[in-house]
Amino acid sequence: MDFELNEDQQAITEAIDRLLAQHAGAARAIELNREGRYDEHLHEALAAAGFSTIATDLASDHSSDLSRDKGLAGLEAALIVEAIARAGGVVASAAQMLVAPAVSAAAIAGPIALCTMDNLAKPVPLRFGAHASTLLVLGYGDVHVIPLGSDDMEAVRSSFGYPMGRLRSAERSHELLSRGDTLGPQAALAMTRWWRLSLAVEAVGTMDAALQHTVDYLKQRRQFGRAIGSFQPIQHRLALCAIQVEASRWLAREAAYHGAQDEAVAAAAAFALNAADQVFTETHQMSGAIGFTCEFNLHVWSMRLLALRQELEGVGGARRALVRARWGGGG
Amino acid sequence: MNTAFSKDELAFQDEVREFLGDYRELDGFYCQGHKWPEVRAMFRAMAEKNWLALSWPKAFGGMALGPVYEFILWNEVAYARAARNPLAAGIVAQTLIRYGSSAQQRDWLPRIRSGEIHFSLCYSEPEAGSDLAALRLRADKNAAGTHYVLNGQKCWQSYAQDMDYLWVLARSGTQESRGRGISLFICDKHAAGVTVSPLPTLDGDQLNEVFFDAVEVPLAQRVGEENGAWPMIGEALADERHIQFPPGRVRRDLEDMVAWLNANGLGADPVVRQRLAELTVQVMETEMLALKVLEAMVKGVNATVDAAMNKISHTLACQDIARAVLDFGGPEALVSGARPELLWRQTITETIGGGTSEIMRSVVSRQLLGLGG
Ligand SMILES: Cc1cc2nc3c(=O)[nH]c(=O)nc-3n(C[C@H](O)[C@H](O)[C@H](O)COP(=O)(O)OP(=O)(O)OC[C@H]3O[C@@H](n4cnc5c(N)ncnc54)[C@H](O)[C@@H]3O)c2cc1C
Repeated sequence: MDFELNEDQQAITEAIDRLLAQHAGAARAIELNREGRYDEHLHEALAAAGFSTIATDLASDHSSDLSRDKGLAGLEAALIVEAIARAGGVVASAAQMLVAPAVSAAAIAGPIALCTMDNLAKPVPLRFGAHASTLLVLGYGDVHVIPLGSDDMEAVRSSFGYPMGRLRSAERSHELLSRGDTLGPQAALAMTRWWRLSLAVEAVGTMDAALQHTVDYLKQRRQFGRAIGSFQPIQHRLALCAIQVEASRWLAREAAYHGAQDEAVAAAAAFALNAADQVFTETHQMSGAIGFTCEFNLHVWSMRLLALRQELEGVGGARRALVRARWGGGG
Repeated sequence: MNTAFSKDELAFQDEVREFLGDYRELDGFYCQGHKWPEVRAMFRAMAEKNWLALSWPKAFGGMALGPVYEFILWNEVAYARAARNPLAAGIVAQTLIRYGSSAQQRDWLPRIRSGEIHFSLCYSEPEAGSDLAALRLRADKNAAGTHYVLNGQKCWQSYAQDMDYLWVLARSGTQESRGRGISLFICDKHAAGVTVSPLPTLDGDQLNEVFFDAVEVPLAQRVGEENGAWPMIGEALADERHIQFPPGRVRRDLEDMVAWLNANGLGADPVVRQRLAELTVQVMETEMLALKVLEAMVKGVNATVDAAMNKISHTLACQDIARAVLDFGGPEALVSGARPELLWRQTITETIGGGTSEIMRSVVSRQLLGLGG
């Protein structure tokens, strides 16, 4: 039993944190979000440093102990995605690093947006939808890999911390589906599992940052002659949030380490996405009025937590998947 | 025990509903900052019926009708999502009636009653939020003794960008005197040295910072005794307890949610219906607690604890409904300006503004349960 990251993993997290310190952060996220932009620069920097393809690269390096049974270094990729979420990076890293390599051995052009067939039939806002080069559509037993033209999607204004876009019209979906490659049932299973896992992983990094930001604030914010963080009711609630985040982190990492098996993924997502609501509510409440202003960085992460809860039917979807994985049955 | 309204009260409720028929589309409750000219016009129209002075004594041109009528009015206005109750006709007027000089009553009350002037509440400061008694904004008399000079900063002022006057708490005693060294002033928002600057908020509206740089306020605009503001603001708050968190808003949130669920074909889903049942009970809880506050006001007994319980229950219900809408809304709920997401973004603050849930819980535990602290 060992929760420590090994040396290679530690080196990876240090390297990604260094890169993010230079190229990401709350101020940059706010600037990009104001205009609904994608962080091309960070996207390029991640690719140039080799992070974007790390899951497959490491796994194909048979001299390394990072090679895993599923042909994917899931934990390493998850650590990177978690770090990018923590830094508020405005890039589609989860789809690129966790989902795409699990779905297809061939490289898929990024940025990548993810959606279900239902999301096409009734076009809804998709994270990174307006900026994606490829749309991965989770069908009923298949996956469609659709190269997007500049005219397919339209930007949607949203306050939830990611640039959003949606298909211009439902009528286009037929043409779109005929355009790309179709992958079989294995790909569909893999996409479901890794997408759901990526929501948990992103939620972990995002909750981490939201909570840390709040803790830092409450250590210095004084009322009644004391730091607010020194009041016991506040301490207890922060402690409960910290437990939720830690448990989410290890459930998600464990699921990634073991190649995103159904039950572990569903449990990690059900837990983390539920925790995301608690962390949202508590961090805002404990920040007071300043947390409701755009000048306080909390919203960079907090609003994203709500967006993550909307994908793949959110907590409810994850819970149903968990019950199916453990006890079988449909629904 | 009888929680029903009387025949006359019900007739008044009908009258209010009819009046609000013209304002169904106003939508000034959530983001009044975007709708102020329209909201102001509605207040003017109310004033023509003398509804801004429903509970004021007749001597001041009021109707002396008491808290039930006020509750009915602002509850219906909230249900119609038209506006929030204006500060001027409530806190400001009640304080002037109780503590103002006759000159102040003569100068200010008629213009408030007619809906001509409006006020922004300047209490909180960067270092004085929950701990209001720590406020620092200075008020010192000038050498000639003709004016007070205000220096310092307020923050989180709702609607200050649109208001005409500021209702300012300022420190006239020593910092250590806390609540015993605070005075209350009426300050013209356009006075030299006043700067209002916006703090954009997550609901797309704004709060404000208000800076005072050597702002001269005539002695005649101090309300009540010097250093005597603390008990006055407590009483003014008490005057508003029955209308500050009207349950009509929560009832409307619930009804809008049900309509929205049905429109999206979700009304028959058993998981949705279970959640709906929980929320409906929550709404009934907050309606009952609001009536308890009202009853205390009618009987003239202290409503502090009832009001704290009502605020906690009301604001949690708001958030729980908004959360459910977002949960059931799926990704569509993330589009800017869509009702579900606006509901959610707006409700974040309900448990903070007007006294945080934590401060309200302390009131309940100390004053109802006698736990000390
Ligand atoms: C939408 C909105 C509108 C507002 N409008 C106005 C206005 O018009 N005019 C005006 O003057 N002010 C206004 N305010 C300010 C409001 O009064 C303050 O936000 C409120 O008093 C809380 O202060 P704070 O935000 O500084 O939070 P803080 O006092 O910094 O508190 C932060 C957190 O710590 C908690 N906390 C503080 N002390 C304790 C304790 N002893 N024990 C446990 N927990 C504690 C609080 O409950 C809160 O959760 C508005 C606020 C909002 C959100």
